[in-house]
Amino acid sequence: MKKGLVGYAFISPWILGFLMFTAFPFLSSIALSFTRYNIVTPPVWVGGANYRTLAHGDPLFWTSLGVTVKFAVLAVPLGVIAGVGLALLLNLDIRGISLYRTIFFIPSILPSVATSVVFLWLLNPEIGLVNRLLRAVGIAGPEWLQSPQWALPSLVLMSLWAVGGSMVIYLAGLKDIPVYLYEAALIDGATAWQRLRHVTLPMLSPVIFFNVIMGVIGVFQYFTEAFIMTQGGPEDSTHFYALYLFERAWHYLDMGYASAMGWVLFLIIMSITGLLFWSQRRWVHYEG
Amino acid sequence: MKFQLSKAGVMGAAAILALGAAITGCGQKSAALLSVSAAPQAQPRIPVYYWHMWSAQWLPVMEHIVSEFNASQTKYEVIAVQVPYGQADTKFLLSAAGGDPPDVMAQWTQAIGSWGQAGVLEPLETKMTPAERQRFSHDTYPVFHDNGWYKGHLYGLPLAVDVYACYYRPDQFRQAGLDPDRFPDTLEALTDAGNRLNQVDTDGRYTRLGFLPQGLTRYAPAFGGGFYDPRADRVLLDTPANKRALDYLTQTGNRLGMERVRRFSAGLKSENNGADWPFIDGSFTVTLDGEWRVMQLAQFAPEMEYRVAPLPPPRGGKPLASFASIDYLTIPAGAKHSEGAWEFIKFWAGIDNPERAGAFNASFGWLPSSPRMTNSPAYQAYLHKYPQYHTFVQLAASPNLVTTPPVPYQQFLMDRIQSRDELAERGSVTPKEALAQLELETGRERSRRKDLGYDQ
Repeated sequence: MKKGLVGYAFISPWILGFLMFTAFPFLSSIALSFTRYNIVTPPVWVGGANYRTLAHGDPLFWTSLGVTVKFAVLAVPLGVIAGVGLALLLNLDIRGISLYRTIFFIPSILPSVATSVVFLWLLNPEIGLVNRLLRAVGIAGPEWLQSPQWALPSLVLMSLWAVGGSMVIYLAGLKDIPVYLYEAALIDGATAWQRLRHVTLPMLSPVIFFNVIMGVIGVFQYFTEAFIMTQGGPEDSTHFYALYLFERAWHYLDMGYASAMGWVLFLIIMSITGLLFWSQRRWVHYEG
Repeated sequence: MKFQLSKAGVMGAAAILALGAAITGCGQKSAALLSVSAAPQAQPRIPVYYWHMWSAQWLPVMEHIVSEFNASQTKYEVIAVQVPYGQADTKFLLSAAGGDPPDVMAQWTQAIGSWGQAGVLEPLETKMTPAERQRFSHDTYPVFHDNGWYKGHLYGLPLAVDVYACYYRPDQFRQAGLDPDRFPDTLEALTDAGNRLNQVDTDGRYTRLGFLPQGLTRYAPAFGGGFYDPRADRVLLDTPANKRALDYLTQTGNRLGMERVRRFSAGLKSENNGADWPFIDGSFTVTLDGEWRVMQLAQFAPEMEYRVAPLPPPRGGKPLASFASIDYLTIPAGAKHSEGAWEFIKFWAGIDNPERAGAFNASFGWLPSSPRMTNSPAYQAYLHKYPQYHTFVQLAASPNLVTTPPVPYQQFLMDRIQSRDELAERGSVTPKEALAQLELETGRERSRRKDLGYDQ
């Protein structure tokens, strides 16, 4: 018993921190979502009014949800394809491979604020490097972040810049695939594509599953880049859910409404995660 | 290995943690306590914490005013704390919620109504003596007197008012065969002159724009438009005057070719930085901008020839019209030393001594708040040195200034105005549709707030 107490004393800073800064706000926000609350004066109970408005009376809520879903549909699969593709290339046994791995990993550890500012310049339609390169091969580049049609795809492409983080996990997964499976496939006469399709991808599927889950959670909370680069524009084409939630909370002093939005977001993420867990029986293969 | 930890050891560790939490959690109080204990003074003065967002060339000017105040005082000492502009509101609201706000807060966001309703700010009119109220009511220009109020209380004292006029380059006028001494007297004539001043390269891309009108809030006042009727206490959005303004902006944009304009604008330097203002490098011949640029031009392009004229009204429009955005000084509810805060605000705004404050406003390049301040020697010297500024002084006294409506959903309203304006100016919706959508969105927000029991 005494030994246990000593253990708890050692981890008490973490427990206190968790209770005060995670558990308490998390649980409080459930109650706050049923109130009007401006963070300065006490909350006032309004029942389900915030949720009713979200369902029927706030088109911007649906716009922001639509933008976020569109981003998720584009960014998550592209992230998986790019991450797996890059991992496959960096799994080759060539000279200097460690250097290549480092180079591709570095962008993922850069602060997203710095990356955003750099991409603001890269994607400048007039003087940006991207359009200059396109111009050099005779293509008139789009307006990127200033075009309602291109702003969201620009952010999707930019998200691939940090694919090095998941690439490392895929690489670890590739290293874990037993060599005898490839040997057996080779003996059976499998081509490179068949080995990828029937050995690599099934064996890598638990890692892909993990990255998809993390990716979905991440994209539904996408904020920093949009906040810095587009502020939701042009024409609300990058008005992400988390950005709108932030505006409601801090610009319009609508913490109750923002809490309701937070809980809707939580339920959406949980539902998609649940769906992915349900679907994994069909496509995720665990060894043994 | 096995740890042996005595009861005293556990208690000691807990005490260290508690002490650490106490030190990191106390903020200003503990900092003040530490500084006092480290360097005791013979006559300690009451600290008045002032949060502001001034930076770059404005910071030394603001610090000078603070030191002038401190030199004039035996009772209070203002301690200026710079907070990053982008995070100022969040930090301030958190400090207010935590019960430890600053004593004075500079407020740039047009949110006096929202914050007044939320109970975040102290009313200031109650702090004025009858004589001060008299002076404030009768001596100051309307734009300084009429803003900062919500439901009969003055929650922010206007300190600086930003108004907009046309900066133009006489050298480029001459090159295009235009007479710089005869600035166009209607908006239509200015638009035509702008077209003559445009320059394009061999690929048809703009290299200079003569005049690029953009932004409903800046142009609506000249058309007699605006967003609030004070007599009826009503927000105005879908009005004929606002539609005329938006029609003008979209038609002018379409004639210039919005995609070409956007590409041209994207290649310009950031206008937020005074030295990089595209007017300086000649990218625009005429540009509608604020009074603070006069000081920036003096600092960053002292040799450049330029002039300033009021935005000419369209036919049937209003002369000397402008949108005015206002910087306030506020006292947060729960401020520890609100009396000291008021002394500082009064000192800076010049309620007791407009002549002294005239020197402050001149050093910032700000509008004068009253005729007395305009006529003060320091301000007259400033006008003599920068004659272009006369236009802004004319605007300060104009009855045709439009400000943010004093409603508790100000920021929502201004965000939506900007959003619908953008849609119309980009050609995604017609001006009529944009204003109808704006009216609908705002009405929806109003009824939501009503359902939730907020003040209307």
